[in-house]
Amino acid sequence: MNLPFRLAFEQRTETPRRLAVMVPLLSVLAAIVAGGIFLFATGYSPFETYSNMLSDGFFSSTGITDTLGLSTVLICTGIAAAFAFQMNLYNIGGEGQLYLGMIGGAWAGLFFGDRLPGFVMIPVVLLVGAACGALWIALPAFVRARLGTSEIVTTLLLTYIGASLVNHFIYRAGSYFRAPNTLFPQGRQVPDSAMLSPLGDTTMYPTFFMVTVLAVFLWWVVRRTEFGYRIQVISDSPRAARYAGISAQRTTVQVMMISGALSGLGGATLIVGTFGRLDPGIVVLGYGYAGIVIAALARNNMAAIIVSGILFAGLRTGGDKLQISTDTPIHIGVMLQGAILLFALGGEAFRRYRVRVVRAQTATAQGAAQ
Amino acid sequence: MNSNIWVLMSADSVALATTLILAALGALFTERSGVLNLGIEGILLTSAITSFIAADSSGSIWLGLVVGSLLGAVLAGIHAVLAVTLRANQIVSGLALVIFGTGLANFLGKPYEGKNIETKILPLSFGPLTDIPVVGPVLFGQDPITYLTVALAVGASWYLFRTRPGLELRATGDDPATVDAQGLKVSSIRIRYTLAGGAMVGLGGSWLMLAESAAWHQAATTNGIGWIALALVVFASWRPIRLIAGAILFGFTLQLPFTLQAENITFIPQAFLQMVPYAVTLISLIALSRPGSSNALGAPRALGTPFVRDER
Repeated sequence: MNLPFRLAFEQRTETPRRLAVMVPLLSVLAAIVAGGIFLFATGYSPFETYSNMLSDGFFSSTGITDTLGLSTVLICTGIAAAFAFQMNLYNIGGEGQLYLGMIGGAWAGLFFGDRLPGFVMIPVVLLVGAACGALWIALPAFVRARLGTSEIVTTLLLTYIGASLVNHFIYRAGSYFRAPNTLFPQGRQVPDSAMLSPLGDTTMYPTFFMVTVLAVFLWWVVRRTEFGYRIQVISDSPRAARYAGISAQRTTVQVMMISGALSGLGGATLIVGTFGRLDPGIVVLGYGYAGIVIAALARNNMAAIIVSGILFAGLRTGGDKLQISTDTPIHIGVMLQGAILLFALGGEAFRRYRVRVVRAQTATAQGAAQ
Repeated sequence: MNSNIWVLMSADSVALATTLILAALGALFTERSGVLNLGIEGILLTSAITSFIAADSSGSIWLGLVVGSLLGAVLAGIHAVLAVTLRANQIVSGLALVIFGTGLANFLGKPYEGKNIETKILPLSFGPLTDIPVVGPVLFGQDPITYLTVALAVGASWYLFRTRPGLELRATGDDPATVDAQGLKVSSIRIRYTLAGGAMVGLGGSWLMLAESAAWHQAATTNGIGWIALALVVFASWRPIRLIAGAILFGFTLQLPFTLQAENITFIPQAFLQMVPYAVTLISLIALSRPGSSNALGAPRALGTPFVRDER
């Protein structure tokens, strides 16, 4: 492979501020253009598709509240992913921890439903969900800290096991979670005391505000507390952390468990709002996987995740409504998510390096000399 | 005797192992060069549906296999550009590929949902050899791609450990600076093997579609096989021959739920049987881990780290 030119990368000592904003924006734009070309090539109108997605996702009254409603769970899985990613711990099993949060939340709702009043019930459901999410990552966290087993593969394998567990609780006849008299197997609705009421006539629940506050709180934890500082030191230089007497093992377990709990909390928000039951459809929605993209696009900044979470929720609500209004498959939304992330990663290079095209003169000069 | 369910199951396990070996072999070559491609699941899925579409519209299975493999290389190419040329975070890039590939495959596969393909890849028959009890169906009742795959794995072992390019490949994954000092281009080697690896994964995805399942069921078509393949590479400590043994073991666990269901063995709930392959993979990964570095397992030392010449 002898090209007449090559790319030279010069490390930037400092990233210009405008690039930090421009790169994510331009990558979203580039992904949308690439997606448009793809839509055109497969016989769909890109302009119509995008304008439908935009208006259904953001610029209609039901669109924007649907989007904010959906963003609740996505911000949860986003901060869950980012919390682990910032320490170079790649918990990509947020999807499975979300299932467990939903199972735990549904169980708490069904079990305590008639015994506790509403104002106690909601926190109980959310906390049990978070605890179940944390429990689901406990083994990967422990073996990662003790044995160095790659958390990437272990957390992901547990997602498949979690999906089977959801199916088991829904499809097994006489299951505690299953609604007794439905034609299609469906989860049993939790009592009203375990559910919040939506904001007016929308699909948005007060949990949205709880999650936004949580994201800002975590931003503060990461930036301003001793715990956040510990995480930074370990991720920047494990060796320096060891000399400073910081236990990487303990922090690894703590960070991963918190990450799992946040995903579990996301699952539980679906119980107190939106579904109100263990819904078998959860295993195909991919809310947990979306969290990875949301975190990466926000470059693991907890506060920025609120923005990227809402953006992705909009892409999805817009994409979901496409199939109803036009004949475009909804998967265009998921595809765009992946494309945006790929472009954002490519753009990252321009943020970190000054990229120049240089002519491969040295090689030709050598060739001429021989 | 050869219609005994356990014999059939062993034969099917060997068959299922084909996709696992191909996907894991692709990952192995990529990782040996120092590039970690977590996008295997996405590549498998996309090449599965494109091979299906190609085979369905042209009527040629072989064209389907070629298109599927090429697509695998193209998707791996995206990863190569990001991970090698632009030095992006390889983990996130691989995950992006999974998400992108899943969306793309489901988008393209929408019109083909549940549709069956007219012609499948058929098993070869070796006449009397295939009729030998037990051994016959397992060893002599497979299709040409399965035999090709085993040959490929054996060939890969020879290539890696007995040839000059194989040595260069291993060196690139272990110590890219030395390879660079030898006057070889690290990035070019890494891109080449990432592409070749992607093509192998693509072939695995195509085979899964055209021989094994022969019907498109969205993401359930691969159902995590790509992730099991990644674990399999660790399990085989980055050696192709051990990969064959591991793949047959994992193939067996993947096949188990179907066999037990067919036999009406119901005292274990179906959902728990479905967990078996993932649980077995999980347990073997943990069992193989040792405190300290992963090098003890034989992982390429520079796996996942971009090579930056200027910073030497």
